[in-house]
Amino acid sequence: MTGPGKVRFEDVVKMHGNFAALKGVEFEIEPGEFFALLGPSGSGKSTTLRILAGLDMPTRGRVILDDQDVTAQDARERDVAMVFQSYALYPHMTVAQNIAFPLEMEKKSKAEIEPLVREAARKVRIDHLLDRRPGQLSGGQQQRCALARAIVRRAKLFLLDEPLSNLDAKLRLETRAELKRLQRDLGVTAVYVTHDQEEAMTLADRMAVFMEGEIQQIGRPADVFARPNSIDVAGFIGSPPMNLLPGRIEGGQVVVAGKPLSTAPAGLASRDVIVGVRPGAVQVNGTGRAATVEFVENLGDTAILDLKLDGAPIRARISDGRPFADGDQVAITVAPQDVHLFDAETRRRIEA
Amino acid sequence: MSLAEPVAAPSGAALSPAASGHLDVMARRERRFAAALLAPAFIALGATTTFPLLYLIWTSTFRMDLAMPFMDGFVGIENYRQLFADPRFWQSLSVSMIYTVTTVIAQVILGLALALLVMNMKRGQGLFRFIAILPVVLSPAVVGMVWRSFMLTPEFGVIDYLSISAGLGSQNWLGDPFMALVSVIVIHTWQWTPFAFMVLLASLASLPDDIYEAAKIDRAGPWQRFWRITLPLLRPAIVMVVIMRTMVALTAFAAIFTVTGGGPGTATEILNLYAYRKSFTELSIGYGSALAVALLVVTILISAVLFLIRRAK
Amino acid sequence: MKTKHLRAIGLLIVTGIFILAWVFPIFWSVLNSLKNEQDVLAYPPKLFFEPTLAAYRSVLFGPQSILPNLWSSFVISAGTTILTMAIAIPAAYALARLRVPGSRWAGFYVLATQMLPPVGIIIPYFLILRNIGWMDTYQGIILIYLSFSLPFAIWLMVSYFEDIPFEMEEAAAVDGASRLTTLRRIILPQVQGGIAVTIVFVFLNAWNEFLFAVVLSGNTVRPVTIAMFNFVSVEQTLWTQLAAVSVIAMLPVVILGILAQKHIVKGLTVGAVKGGGRR
Repeated sequence: MTGPGKVRFEDVVKMHGNFAALKGVEFEIEPGEFFALLGPSGSGKSTTLRILAGLDMPTRGRVILDDQDVTAQDARERDVAMVFQSYALYPHMTVAQNIAFPLEMEKKSKAEIEPLVREAARKVRIDHLLDRRPGQLSGGQQQRCALARAIVRRAKLFLLDEPLSNLDAKLRLETRAELKRLQRDLGVTAVYVTHDQEEAMTLADRMAVFMEGEIQQIGRPADVFARPNSIDVAGFIGSPPMNLLPGRIEGGQVVVAGKPLSTAPAGLASRDVIVGVRPGAVQVNGTGRAATVEFVENLGDTAILDLKLDGAPIRARISDGRPFADGDQVAITVAPQDVHLFDAETRRRIEA
Repeated sequence: MSLAEPVAAPSGAALSPAASGHLDVMARRERRFAAALLAPAFIALGATTTFPLLYLIWTSTFRMDLAMPFMDGFVGIENYRQLFADPRFWQSLSVSMIYTVTTVIAQVILGLALALLVMNMKRGQGLFRFIAILPVVLSPAVVGMVWRSFMLTPEFGVIDYLSISAGLGSQNWLGDPFMALVSVIVIHTWQWTPFAFMVLLASLASLPDDIYEAAKIDRAGPWQRFWRITLPLLRPAIVMVVIMRTMVALTAFAAIFTVTGGGPGTATEILNLYAYRKSFTELSIGYGSALAVALLVVTILISAVLFLIRRAK
Repeated sequence: MKTKHLRAIGLLIVTGIFILAWVFPIFWSVLNSLKNEQDVLAYPPKLFFEPTLAAYRSVLFGPQSILPNLWSSFVISAGTTILTMAIAIPAAYALARLRVPGSRWAGFYVLATQMLPPVGIIIPYFLILRNIGWMDTYQGIILIYLSFSLPFAIWLMVSYFEDIPFEMEEAAAVDGASRLTTLRRIILPQVQGGIAVTIVFVFLNAWNEFLFAVVLSGNTVRPVTIAMFNFVSVEQTLWTQLAAVSVIAMLPVVILGILAQKHIVKGLTVGAVKGGGRR
């Protein structure tokens, strides 16, 4: 490795004409960290990665790599490696030639290149395919080839742009685990763009959640999941998404649809709020508030109940959907610690 | 956005000087690379097209006779005035129009008919595609020579033989003004119909099958399917063929030159050929230049009309 | 059932006529080139005869050998092709790829040059070449052939460059390759097929060109298309030799056309898609 790979974005703005793709993005990535950029399409996560790679230039702000301002350097001057969403394998070269290409650009000798290529290929288990061309590989093998080409040079930064999105579901799971192991082994800083929260949750040490050109929240995946700091993050993270119900804090109670749902944290003044409850935190049992089962979605190992709570839709995730049928009357409760409160006006989280 | 901007610009400005400087440097590097790649092409195109065009317009304002150089001199728009009063110009223009309109229409109708015919063939499509290549890759000069000699020569050519066999007698195909014009039109159509055929066949093949199935379910007959579905969908391809073939027909040269040389008299002398003959046979370069400019103007006018048709709808 | 049969037969007859109409003139030239002096003049025309290569022997090795003319055609076509490709490939890459202000206008200019009638180019060119003594020279004729081969080659190559995804260049940049290295090692190998097709068409168009050749040719530069007139004169036409020369002139372009068969529609219509015409 050529360096530790510490990244800092300082107030990075990217304008496309009058449209602000990034509105002042700031974050830091520690050496060796697996950092995910998560967000829906068009949220600016890919733009951020491209600016980090040096493929796009920011309109304003600075990019610092290992205490050195690299804003003005383009991709070939920065010591970064990247796996593209489309893999961007060179179709006229064999797998071996593809992997060797970045080393050749470093003017390494043939004798040096050969073992490095072999090792990189072995790490991603394509060493038996070195003489094939990309067109003769399956999607998964192409993806590994792209990975090998990125790791062979031991760059400071390892950038991945939705690398799993073109794989089928089963292969995606396998590769996901392998990717994490690979990054640990190499000890390299990895920046990973994805719109799939599950990937970000499982892979990342920390992640940044992007919305409309801004970072909404940065933190460890578990923390972001447990304490989303805005309504938008709360609605984006988690599947099925968090129930978000208009409500009020009144007399020490969280009131939804005219009736108390649970006790409110102490010391909060009365006001309008958005109440967030994860479907998994909705307990369906004999006591509590009455709700009607609109629809049972059976997922096999779990089930989702679409409920109506005095007119307000709310979902519950339960382990077994069999006891329930459409139209059943049930009672639900939510533990106070499972209630997320957001200010209806500022859309920010209300801390107890 | 330029580098000359003072470095101490207010930091609150939308663009900090440092960052915009990077963008500027990048853009300039990109521009310089592009310029280096494009320069040879633009120099070559300038030298072989734009410069000759300007020179052509310049010479068209001169009297320039290679046979009588002592008369040469600047005459302003005299050549153009002469041109408007020149019956041979108007005749060549009308021959051009007849030649262009008939050949283009014939190519499109025959090409479309053939494409529809071949499209429905289960076998033998490959043979058609193969044969269609032959005429279009040949030199029009060679095509003209073959037709003139082996097809149309009286009492020797195959067409004449067929005519005699059919009891119509031997004809002087290229000696009669009307027959000569028909002949050059037929030859051009023969050579270029395969072009229309290939383009329209490719376009037909790209039409999705399911819309025809949907039309059948909507109970459209074959005739209705052709008029209501095939033709509107082929319209862009047909318009493209018309535009391209019109441009070629207006500047057709080799085949007519080889077959009739513009004759008999001026019966097959299209404007393009007239400009050539005036310049290089009669050696009146100045007047020939004016004719060439007139041809350019006609070409631009016609293509403008065709492009408007293409835009419409 | 009956009408279906009738229609099938009708279809067969119509297609047969079309095939015959297209093939016959070419087929007949080939036949005539294989006849002797008596057979070619026979009336009614002979379909069956004793074939002979006498005409080919005569036009290739006789006193009026067209070998020098074949060489001339080849030098013109090859020279035009090499020069055209050397200029067109970088230009097409720049037009297809680089985000530079004015590149749309540059592309439009390339298209617009194709509107010029060739006769309007050859008149001033004739005057210029006569002045600098380049009449009847290869450099003169090759230079003017650029006027039609360049716009064509540029547009055809642009369409091939545009087929390559942008990520190729970005991946190469991340891998540390310079712009030129990227072009040479990553991009050009991927358009090899397109380059081959373009070469075929440029060569073919140069081989077939006639107007410029008529004006500029002389004793040194005398391509086959011009030389075939040697066999036609007012006194007599050398029918078999003329047929043989025609067949020889057709041969290379037919071979090239067959080689490029799959790409011929693209080659014929390039540029038109963008809104222009080709002559």
